[in-house]
Amino acid sequence: MEIQTQQVDAIEVVTVQGDIDSKTAPAFQEALLPFYASNDDLVLNMSQVTFMSSAGLRVLLSVYRQASQASTRLVLVGLSEELQDTMSATGFLEHFETYTTLDEGIAAIKQKA
Amino acid sequence: MNNDNVQVPASFDSLSSIRTYVMQAASAAGLEHKRAYRLQLAVDEIATNVVTHGGGSEQPDAYIRVSHEITDECLTIVLEDNSHPFDPTQQTLASDINAPLEERPIGGLGVYLALKNVDTFTYKYANQHNRNILVMYRQTPPPETQ
Repeated sequence: MEIQTQQVDAIEVVTVQGDIDSKTAPAFQEALLPFYASNDDLVLNMSQVTFMSSAGLRVLLSVYRQASQASTRLVLVGLSEELQDTMSATGFLEHFETYTTLDEGIAAIKQKA
Repeated sequence: MNNDNVQVPASFDSLSSIRTYVMQAASAAGLEHKRAYRLQLAVDEIATNVVTHGGGSEQPDAYIRVSHEITDECLTIVLEDNSHPFDPTQQTLASDINAPLEERPIGGLGVYLALKNVDTFTYKYANQHNRNILVMYRQTPPPETQ
């Protein structure tokens, strides 16, 4: 798993690549910690995630709680059908704001900024 | 018919090689991609559970052995380990998946996903070994009507 962070038009974009399992999830969680402190809106680009287990769901749960507590926007983009199935089976999907592409996710945040 | 198997240390480091093994078996059985992914997810969750509850760190010789069998109807994946007895089917499942995320307990999701994503799941304990048996039918169910 690899993680890249970048700023696109003053919005934080975190791109995850590869497999999120119990081995790699702690690094995913750690990469998100700076944003917990920053109170910035966050786009998680999941389009290159090839596998995600419940370990990934736990990270999403944590970042979701953080975002709702801080009243910041959290947007997920590029979820594969498989990831959507996992999130839907566990009742996660409906709680997240999701878009197909990164551009759509960024546009959505800008629109309601 | 148990062509080959792989034995790995019961640690999170082994998860990716276990998944690779499962995907190869799924491909040999001609499992449709989505069903292969579901099986891979289920096996990963069970293996994770073995590491977490089996006490990989307390028990340095803890291992997981993965084997598979392909019959006309099914692909069967067997995870066998020498950790403490642990029956996933007796674990408290992911409680209420309709509860708001704010109120969700953190545990139980993995086993819930494992049991939900395979066609049959069986647990046995014999000869000081846990055996988790996951079965997928090879035939893709007819596509849902759009």
